[in-house]
Amino acid sequence: MKKFVGAVIAVSVLVSAFALTGCGGGAKTEDKPYAGQTLHIYNWGEYTGENTISDFENLTGATIVMDEFDSNEQMYIKVANGDSYDILVPSDYMIERLIQEELIQPLDKSKLNCLDLLADGVKNLPFDPDNTYSVPYFWGTVGIVYDKNKVDIADLEKEGFGIFADEKYKGDIYLYDSERDSFMMALKQLGYSMNTDKEDELNAAYEFLLNIVNTMNAEIVTDEIIDNMAQGRKALGLIYSGDATYVMAENEDMGYFLPESGTNLWTDAMVIPKNAENAELAHEFINFALSHDAAIDTSSYVGYTSPNKEVMAELSGEGGDFEGIDAYIPRDNNANDEVFEYNEDTRKVISELWSKVKIAASNAG
Amino acid sequence: MKKFTQLAVPYIVWSVLMLLLPMLIVFFYSITDSGNGITIFSLTFKHYIKFFTDKDFLIVLWRSLKIAFKTTVACILLGYPIAYFIAGNSDKVRNTLVLVITIPTWINMLVRTYAWIGILTEGGLVSMVLHALGFKDTELLYTETAVLIGMVYNFLPFMILQINTSLCKMDRSLLEASNDLGADNVQTFMRITFPLSLPGVVSGISLVFLPAVSSFFIPKLLGGGQYFLIGNVIENQFITVGEWNFGSAISVIMAVLMMLSMYLVRYIEARNSQVAD
Repeated sequence: MKKFVGAVIAVSVLVSAFALTGCGGGAKTEDKPYAGQTLHIYNWGEYTGENTISDFENLTGATIVMDEFDSNEQMYIKVANGDSYDILVPSDYMIERLIQEELIQPLDKSKLNCLDLLADGVKNLPFDPDNTYSVPYFWGTVGIVYDKNKVDIADLEKEGFGIFADEKYKGDIYLYDSERDSFMMALKQLGYSMNTDKEDELNAAYEFLLNIVNTMNAEIVTDEIIDNMAQGRKALGLIYSGDATYVMAENEDMGYFLPESGTNLWTDAMVIPKNAENAELAHEFINFALSHDAAIDTSSYVGYTSPNKEVMAELSGEGGDFEGIDAYIPRDNNANDEVFEYNEDTRKVISELWSKVKIAASNAG
Repeated sequence: MKKFTQLAVPYIVWSVLMLLLPMLIVFFYSITDSGNGITIFSLTFKHYIKFFTDKDFLIVLWRSLKIAFKTTVACILLGYPIAYFIAGNSDKVRNTLVLVITIPTWINMLVRTYAWIGILTEGGLVSMVLHALGFKDTELLYTETAVLIGMVYNFLPFMILQINTSLCKMDRSLLEASNDLGADNVQTFMRITFPLSLPGVVSGISLVFLPAVSSFFIPKLLGGGQYFLIGNVIENQFITVGEWNFGSAISVIMAVLMMLSMYLVRYIEARNSQVAD
């Protein structure tokens, strides 16, 4: 969902990469199945492993051209305007929209060998119930990153997301500049569905956020939160689980907390647009991205959770890069957790309200 | 004579297409709203009413005007002595110095503003120096001071170049005459040099104040997510909220405000030069 430059370089990844290039180098280019072909990928920035692209190129002989986006909406505009890509990596609600508007094609499951590798929690999600259109790329939650020395865990357990309005931590919190997840936090704390379209519930969430920015002297940030929390500059902040994984790997005083009231269970998944020029190769890439070595490379480099259950277990298990970091394992046993749905009308309302919250924040400061 | 007016045709076409038409479209958006099933759009003033009846928007506007004013004053105070110094040199040295002032503007503004993040951030250059001097609480990045620094830094060259140009155009013999008639240096400066350089100051003001008041990426980068100027509000309406009509209305309000302030500055300048005559 979000991206950052992962500074963690796993030696094991490098070794396996060399092994791959080693055996790939032996074959002549013309022997490779997709020599001379090109694969166009449109992905989030800083969202691929260090060697993923070169490994795939060596394996298949194809060339990858990758463009990057930093919001689902930005990606949507380009795709809806007819730009042709073979693979996109949008988030859950945006996939729902792309399916509704018939911009992406059903996958040919006979060409996919990766569906069995998926962890249970990331399969058959509501936006694409049978994985007809999409194969997950990364997944995770949104939670609270906190400094164990500054924040009393009892406060977190008692207040949940309400801790952002607790004056004990005034001037010591980060909000995340995402209208969706800010409202998710507010709606969840108030006990509503984060997909609500009821005006009074949205307004209550707006009041909740307004109260925070008016009383808490909160800083509203985006990716700066990663470095700042890794350096322990504030007590707590709203963060994506993958970013929390990085923060916790850097600074062991940091913890990750998921309130019982529920959170956003998000997925970014690979889909193939209707106007793809090389769907065959796209299927090949999807298989590759989920295969063991590539998934390890991508996940350990970026810090986000792999949907491949073995890779997940390996990286979070003994000796893995993310051993003991609970943010890496998305929660899949809380009935209050939800997946975002696509609703253009609510999106507009939330957008406008969030912009008012930010203006209020700037006037409060 | 007629031949010469014909030469202007491409420019007129260009201005209409690239300046007038977009402005008319923005104006059109600002007084309309998406219509119902029968009409495509409906005329309305509600966007203007919305802006002027919401205290929050007015506070943001006031803050934008204040910081643009501070930027302009700082640019004059810093830029005038520099321009004066440059103008006092021989042609060759002066050209080199002007080049030195201009060189940073060859690099994209965005990149230069990003550089300030590194300088002002906690543990960055400035905070290291301040710590060494014994100041403890030195949070600079994401404050109004940071935004002000960024603006002054970005817009200062415009002020210097304008003032320098008008100082260079000044007739040196006027200064000699003034000295011959017994005026000391301070008097000469106050009564000859400064009034004659005013046109430069005035165009400097318009080159600094106008972009400063509507700047949106400097406050975004250096002020952080919770520091909003009017430019950020407009950007937000277009990019994230998708309310083009309201965004256009704010743009029109800003355009009118700027035209008024320019008119005011020119008026004061004109009156001053009459008094001087």
